[in-house]
Amino acid sequence: MLNDLQLNSILEDFDIAYWKINLLNKEVTWSEHFNTLVGNPEFSESHFDYFLKEILHRDYRYDFRIYFDKLTEENEAFNIELKLKLGNGKYRWFECRNLKNKESNRDTAVLLFVNIHQSKRDQYTIEENFFYYRETAQMTNTGGWYIDTVNRNIYWDNVTKKIIDCPLDYQPPYEEHFKFYAPEEHPTVISAFEKCEKYGIPFKVELKMRNLYHKDFWVCATGKPVYNEDQEIIGIRGVFQDINEQKVNELNLQNSLDIIATQNSRLFNFAHIVSHNLRSHSSNLCLIVELLKEAKTDTDKIELIPNVSDISENLDSAINQLNEIVNRQSLLRKERRIVSFEKALSGVMASTSSLINRENAKIVAEFHALKEISYIPEYLESILLNLISNAIKYKHPGRKPVIFIQTYIKNETPFLEVSDNGLGIDLDQYGDKMFGMYKTFHKNLDSRGIGLFITKNQVETLGGSISVTSTVDVGTTFKIKF
Amino acid sequence: MGQKVELACIIDDDKIYVNLVKKIIEIKKLSENLLIFKNGMEALDHFKLILENATEDVLPDIIFLDINMPVMDGWEFLNEFIKIKNNFDKKITLYVVSSSIDPRDLERAKSFNLVTDYLIKPIELKKFEKIFDRNSDAAA
Repeated sequence: MLNDLQLNSILEDFDIAYWKINLLNKEVTWSEHFNTLVGNPEFSESHFDYFLKEILHRDYRYDFRIYFDKLTEENEAFNIELKLKLGNGKYRWFECRNLKNKESNRDTAVLLFVNIHQSKRDQYTIEENFFYYRETAQMTNTGGWYIDTVNRNIYWDNVTKKIIDCPLDYQPPYEEHFKFYAPEEHPTVISAFEKCEKYGIPFKVELKMRNLYHKDFWVCATGKPVYNEDQEIIGIRGVFQDINEQKVNELNLQNSLDIIATQNSRLFNFAHIVSHNLRSHSSNLCLIVELLKEAKTDTDKIELIPNVSDISENLDSAINQLNEIVNRQSLLRKERRIVSFEKALSGVMASTSSLINRENAKIVAEFHALKEISYIPEYLESILLNLISNAIKYKHPGRKPVIFIQTYIKNETPFLEVSDNGLGIDLDQYGDKMFGMYKTFHKNLDSRGIGLFITKNQVETLGGSISVTSTVDVGTTFKIKF
Repeated sequence: MGQKVELACIIDDDKIYVNLVKKIIEIKKLSENLLIFKNGMEALDHFKLILENATEDVLPDIIFLDINMPVMDGWEFLNEFIKIKNNFDKKITLYVVSSSIDPRDLERAKSFNLVTDYLIKPIELKKFEKIFDRNSDAAA
């Protein structure tokens, strides 16, 4: 058996101090280690009184006294956690418990003081961290999840369940958990999860998810592999952050920005047209006024009159055409609808039947690859009308005009192509002017400008683009990417 | 008033404008003769022909060049004209004339050395007289 000295040294090693209490006179003696811990104080009162007054934190004085009395008077065991002021003046956590008294030993009790400061602090830290985690998770709408890939189970915490808008007792199905992602995200999600499960590659992606009620919302998802002791991946752990509000705002903002940018560029174009086409007429008017002032005879003056009427006619037609552009732009407010290409084309053909018949034009349409599209119906008709009437207007003198119209989908993008067997145009020389609007208002010879300018505007307003390929004497193809 | 300009040249597709300028030149007797082209290509063809036939006396003293024209616009004409102008001994004064008040057009015109000035339509009668007068002085 150990003797007292050995026992003391072991207790000291474990940072355990103790009291010996004489049950007969309630006198307390401290172990050497206890004395060291509290800084070897010198005092005149009893150990017990000094302890209560100077060492024990005042919060525990009342309880301790009661426990102490019960122990000494009724031999009742106790165990409390309390704070003691050490030799350095700082309080530390101790567990205070008495060793079970054997019946034979009724005159002495031993009270142990075990330093539990570190574990107490750890416990506090964990509680504190948990508090911050919970507050952060709630405030940022961030939920945790775990996929157990071995036992094929999915665990969601309550915030995740809140984000996905399912009952708290809902058990997500392992096999079907992809249904919680919007279909277009499936390739991304499958690839991210597979890479994480197979190769341990973590991921962080913005995803569109779908809740139980088929409502879509945006999350930021992170996932990291979970390894077992053998370094095998046994699951994926991560968080979902509900970023729907931000994402929707961001998308709206981007959308508005795009609209503003195109509006701006159209306004700029419009200012350009006004500057070029209205000014040329107004400057002619100024010139005539000056000439009228200079004219000496009535005959000179009368000679100038036809010029005035020419200018006013040109000005009128320029203004009408500007007005047409403005009117078409204001169609913007109209909404997209599902439009059938077949129907749009038959409408256009009906309105141009006289031109088509006169020129004996043949129109071949193939819409089977893409029958309809979500578009502003008036725009689609106007685009078809412009391209068809252009094709006929610039037909090859040696042959009947044939126009081939087809729709198709390439790389998930819808396309419309209008090809003709007409004059064709030298794109090296005129390519950049094809969709411009220079000198189109008072040049009947080249009326191509305004139609294609409007077409390009309409296509771009709805987020598409138009391009042209052409060979002189062979024909021209306009390609619209929706 | 200096000596009269022998031959002035207008390259412009706006018939009304050309008519009016013609009238001004007639009334004010600013130039003996007037060459008129509807676009840059017609003018360029004419100048190339003069080079081939070596008949420099029919080169204009002064050219008024519009920017926006079909077939060949003013910019394209300038780029082509630069290539052949050194073959002429005669000094030709060239004005770019346009209704465009876009500062970028102005900058672009001034970037050409052979462009004397950029004139914005309408050109006042007095300005016309001044241009022709200055040209006469320079030529004299």
